[in-house]
Amino acid sequence: MAEVTFDKVRKAFGSAVAVRELDLAIRSGEFVSLLGPSGCGKTTTLRMLAGLETPTSGAISIDGTVVNELAPAKRDIAMVFQSYALYPHMSVAQNIAYPLKKRGVSRADRDVRVAAVAATLQLGALLDRKPRQLSGGQQQRVALGRALVRDPRVFLLDEPLSNLDAKLRAHMRAELIELHRRIGKTMVYVTHDQLEAMTMSDRIAVMHDGVLQQFGTPKEVYETPANLFVASFIGSPGMNLVKGELRAAGSGLAFVRGDLSLPVANGGTAGAAVTLGVRPEDITLGAGPFACTIRVVEPTGHETIVMAEAAGETLVARAAPDSQLVPGQVVPFAVRAQRLHAFDADGRRLPLVFAQSNGA
Amino acid sequence: MLLSSQYAALGVLLIAPTVLVFCAVIVYPLVSAIYLSLFSIYTPTLQGKWVGLDNYAKLLASGEFWGALRVTLVWTIGTLVLQLVFGIALALLLHQNLVFRSLARGLILFPYFVSTVVAVLVWRWLFNDLYGILNHVLLAAGLIDMPLDWLGQMPNAMVSLILVGAWKYFPFVVITVLARLQTIPDHLYEAAEMDGAGPVARFFDVTLPQLRDVLLVVILLRAIWDFKEFDLIWLMTGGGPVTSTQTLPLLVYRSAFGLNEMGGASAVAVLMMLVMLVFMALYIRAQRQE
Repeated sequence: MAEVTFDKVRKAFGSAVAVRELDLAIRSGEFVSLLGPSGCGKTTTLRMLAGLETPTSGAISIDGTVVNELAPAKRDIAMVFQSYALYPHMSVAQNIAYPLKKRGVSRADRDVRVAAVAATLQLGALLDRKPRQLSGGQQQRVALGRALVRDPRVFLLDEPLSNLDAKLRAHMRAELIELHRRIGKTMVYVTHDQLEAMTMSDRIAVMHDGVLQQFGTPKEVYETPANLFVASFIGSPGMNLVKGELRAAGSGLAFVRGDLSLPVANGGTAGAAVTLGVRPEDITLGAGPFACTIRVVEPTGHETIVMAEAAGETLVARAAPDSQLVPGQVVPFAVRAQRLHAFDADGRRLPLVFAQSNGA
Repeated sequence: MLLSSQYAALGVLLIAPTVLVFCAVIVYPLVSAIYLSLFSIYTPTLQGKWVGLDNYAKLLASGEFWGALRVTLVWTIGTLVLQLVFGIALALLLHQNLVFRSLARGLILFPYFVSTVVAVLVWRWLFNDLYGILNHVLLAAGLIDMPLDWLGQMPNAMVSLILVGAWKYFPFVVITVLARLQTIPDHLYEAAEMDGAGPVARFFDVTLPQLRDVLLVVILLRAIWDFKEFDLIWLMTGGGPVTSTQTLPLLVYRSAFGLNEMGGASAVAVLMMLVMLVFMALYIRAQRQE
């Protein structure tokens, strides 16, 4: 069991800053995803934890011990690489046994542990094969096995599923969730795929431009995004973002954009520029106080994605698969006021509470 | 005519030029060498008479052939081992992030592209027992009391040859090994590092296995080339003192143009080829079994 703490960790490559002042506390046994677009610093963060990169400043601790100066092999962590990094000239059994061999584990002991890991990962029949004779999914499992066999304190996984096809990825995702549940070790998982992060993680650390944007459970990150970046990065199709401002309306305030007006129940100051965020599933087509023109209808089978125009903006909405919408049609729509998000001019989340609009 | 036989005819037509060139430059000289080795031929007139396998019998009975074979093996193995050791070591060094890496990579080729005649002249100056800088430096450093005869004495002459051969040809090993090193994924080293492998273990468990294929080719090529090396040895020692550095190619030359026995020289050349064939077959088999 191991806690991992990043304390004001910074990493610069020359003048390029990869990670800025990262504070992150990962609890023992937690599955944490580092999520962000490429170049956001997530892999650098993982590599610093692995010991493959040295932080420019700040401290990384495992179980309260600062490990900055500790060699990778001494940190008691294992890593699964995106490319798997299997030793091509060694058999599956030799690959899995290698970390044990380098730690002086006796031959008999090694065989027992390799057999146990092979059984866990269903690699028993492949032990004599060379990596090049394996499929992508099998190589992936061997890489996992090489990490598992050491029984390390922390597991690091660097986009381990990105080289697999979609079906296998879904399968491996389930296997990883199951594996984590069974062994209960701290796992740090780097991915750019929000679906992986959302489905597997206890908590997600969303990163962008080397800065931690938000650290929370998948539910928190999805339902209360801390800023515009998180709001737009998480969710597919993405959140609709509508720029407007707060104006006095009646006794209170309202968010106004063109002929769109949403009364605010609590918070905000008149005249402030605000970006409104609406998730596609929070738009209800067919009834409501506003009107939009349907542009594109994309049936996906289990739902229909609709792009519609309102107040000069293109809005994306989810509709039932049996909805009979056609492009060009003008339909009324409503938004679920309690599920709206608001962000200030700097992109920070605003604590606005909207009132359910009953017709502008 | 069937379409398939038309294609076959076209195929024959298309490979014909290659086959003809191949016959002219490889098969003909080979066959004529074997043919000549069955005659006793006076080189200046190229007149000769059929002697069958007499040339071979004489050679295999003579100490000279076996002596030259032994010298050739000592030279080939000695210089090849040094080429590999220095070649791999320098390739590893040049693979690091050195300050003048690209300059050093260029300079390393220098011995390989300098003409053998020029290189040998320079080395003979350096090795010269009277005014050579090597003796001068060793004397000044107090390592020797008397100037050493580097080329006119055994085993000095062979040591000098092996050193100069290694110097001249190790860049080939550097370049090929360096090219391969650059394609080894960093992730393998990082994985090994996390698995607890130190620098030495990383070399033997990651680098060397990855270099295996390229080293197989390098050893094969360099062994062939070193085995038939002529100009460097001829210019350095001329096979001397007496015949102590006389390799098989020098024996061929001496038989053909010194003793004017073209038939005997051809027989040596054919035997040389057989020796090489045997070694290559053994080598390739050993590599396959691994």
